[in-house]
Amino acid sequence: MNDLVDFWLEHLPAMLDGLMVSVQVTGVSLAIGVPLGLLLALAVQSRSKPMRGIAIVVVEVGRGAPALILLQFTYFGLPNAGLSLDSFSSAVIALAWCTGAYTSEIIRAGLEAVPHGQKEAAEAIGLNHLDALRYVILPQALRVSVPALLGFSILMLQASSLCFAIALPELVSQAYLIGSTTFRYMPILVLAGLLYAAICIPATIAVSALERKLGAHA
Amino acid sequence: MSLNSSSITQADVAPKQPLLRLDAVGKTFGTHVVLEDIDLSLAAGEVVAIIGPSGSGKSTLLRCINQLEPPTTGRVTIGDTTIEAGHTPTRRELMVLRRSIGMVFQSFNLFPHLTVLRNVSLAQERVMGRTREQADAVSMQLLARVGLADKAQQFPSRCSGGQQQRIAIARALALDPQIMLFDEPTSALDPELGLEVLSVMRELAEGGMTMIVVTHEMRFAENVSDRVIIMADGRIVEQGPSGTVMRNPQTERAQRFLHAVKDR
Amino acid sequence: MTQDMLLTMVSGVPWTIALTAVALLIGVVLGIPLCAMRMSKLVVLRMVANTLILTLRAIPPIVWLFFIFFGLDTGYVSLNPFQAAAIGLGLITAANMAEIYRGAMSAIHSGQSEASMALGLSTYHRFFDVLGPQLFRVALPSAASYAIGLLKDSAIASTIGVHEIAFEASHVSQRTFRGLDVYAVAGLLYILLSLPIAWASRWADLHLRARVAR
Ligand SMILES: Nc1ncnc2c1ncn2[C@@H]1O[C@H](COP(=O)(O)OP(=O)(O)OP(=O)(O)O)[C@@H](O)[C@H]1O
Ligand SMILES: [Mg+2]
Repeated sequence: MNDLVDFWLEHLPAMLDGLMVSVQVTGVSLAIGVPLGLLLALAVQSRSKPMRGIAIVVVEVGRGAPALILLQFTYFGLPNAGLSLDSFSSAVIALAWCTGAYTSEIIRAGLEAVPHGQKEAAEAIGLNHLDALRYVILPQALRVSVPALLGFSILMLQASSLCFAIALPELVSQAYLIGSTTFRYMPILVLAGLLYAAICIPATIAVSALERKLGAHA
Repeated sequence: MSLNSSSITQADVAPKQPLLRLDAVGKTFGTHVVLEDIDLSLAAGEVVAIIGPSGSGKSTLLRCINQLEPPTTGRVTIGDTTIEAGHTPTRRELMVLRRSIGMVFQSFNLFPHLTVLRNVSLAQERVMGRTREQADAVSMQLLARVGLADKAQQFPSRCSGGQQQRIAIARALALDPQIMLFDEPTSALDPELGLEVLSVMRELAEGGMTMIVVTHEMRFAENVSDRVIIMADGRIVEQGPSGTVMRNPQTERAQRFLHAVKDR
Repeated sequence: MTQDMLLTMVSGVPWTIALTAVALLIGVVLGIPLCAMRMSKLVVLRMVANTLILTLRAIPPIVWLFFIFFGLDTGYVSLNPFQAAAIGLGLITAANMAEIYRGAMSAIHSGQSEASMALGLSTYHRFFDVLGPQLFRVALPSAASYAIGLLKDSAIASTIGVHEIAFEASHVSQRTFRGLDVYAVAGLLYILLSLPIAWASRWADLHLRARVAR
């Protein structure tokens, strides 16, 4: 037992560094991906056919292809097109794409949840299209989407573990590295699992509490 | 108390040309003809009540007037702006139209995420270009006029239905419209709460506001409006001075409708 | 892209399908007792189930797969990559299926169950004749979209060496130094594979909707 604790303590700093990278890559991907999701949600409903077509392809590929393949595509594929990126940037592009695709559906559902009368009232008081969206429709749509967006963010932190495959030194890569040098995979993987659980379990509980609270108000 | 004292002079000086005119306005959804050949003209200060059975196209008519629903045929003229069916109105034309016309909905449609004050101020800031302070000051006056100054910082959900509808009236008045459209403003309310809304509307009418009111309140139609229009099946079947139409309708369709609702 | 490269990647398709199917089967079956525990009257059972479900869902699949493949490989148990991946993904699926069942239960439970109790039906008949078919119908769309998610998650098994699509793709890519077209084709293969699941689910939903009165 003492032995295990010593082993964990010895490797904790490296593991926490890894966790930091996981959180950073997730945070940056969400910061880019959620606004992208908003744009895609609007583009999918746009009146212009080419715009709608492009948006649908971006969304369907982002949702349809495994995140792992998106990561490998940006990291190993884009250099063929003359665009060599480090693993962090590749990870952000792939995960932001994935985020944009999934959150566009979440936000679209939020937009559809806003009663039609709200849009009419905004029009009737003379707001132009953009102002109606900005001041009336979006605030209400995003409020509805918040629990689902938070739930998705938790999934994204987990998905960042796939960056292992493109040599980003995040939590799983660190665990794997330590495991392969010490030949003690089991304890280090348990520690990795505990670190993920320590973030994701409370976050999941908090999100479902928020969901219940908002649901009770509706 | 007068709600719109500036319009009194407007009403006193009999206008040469009507404030609002509809020429042969029609609307079809797919193959379903909802409005057919509607001619209507409205002088400044006039209060017109529109009554008629459910589905006769009353709401659609109001929505065609402010282009929430673009008409499929005909012409809508307000002041010196004319919007022809079939041509998408320009942004400027739409803006003129929406600023000249205030609309009050059956289901209030207040913005639930904004305070009462902000509900009334928003369009003044974004459409009229007033500063936040100016807009809020005007909004406070309007809220005081509908008797709700104390609700300014509340959210709409904390107000009763009658209060919400009065806020919606203040919101529509905020752009200084020349015409107010009401689509069954009291239908979603208990009779008692409906009364407080009706009294605000009566004051507006007495202050000289030009109004078109779709309503099921026969007493309001008879006593407050100058003119009553009876619609059925997408057409105007009878119109005239309120007393005459309500008490002595000429057409068979109007008689049938009024007979059916006379107990209300 | 040569025909050879394409064929190599397509050779991963059966493994992807097999892995998805086995994991789904494990999850669909194990999800039932897990859901029953989760809804049990006994607090202890409920808590155990709750903890299991939360933990299985809170830790990324890749960690579970590594744990089962590398971590459990202590000399006593030795699993091949496919077995490890099927068990890992199967357990995660069980947790998710338990939640899907529970959602379906609460969607139909209250009214229907009371109605059939009032009719004096036995528990057995209540479940199999009244609740069962409806449960199936209500749970089907979420289960189908989970299955599509699982199909994509099965790509993770490439990291422990299951010869499925993603594995073959990275193999081809390393051999030929080409990534752009190789991974694009791999992504397309997954999208193509998910289409029949979506169609089948939509068809079954319509079919059942007609048969099981709501
Ligand atoms: N967006 C639409 N698409 C298709 N049909 C519509 C639409 N809006 C209204 N209609 C149809 O037009 C007809 C008139 O509707 P409208 O709402 O104008 O009637 P109304 O006189 O206001 O009735 P009520 O007294 O019930 O409010 C109805 O038959 C309705 O079904
Ligand atoms: Mg109506």
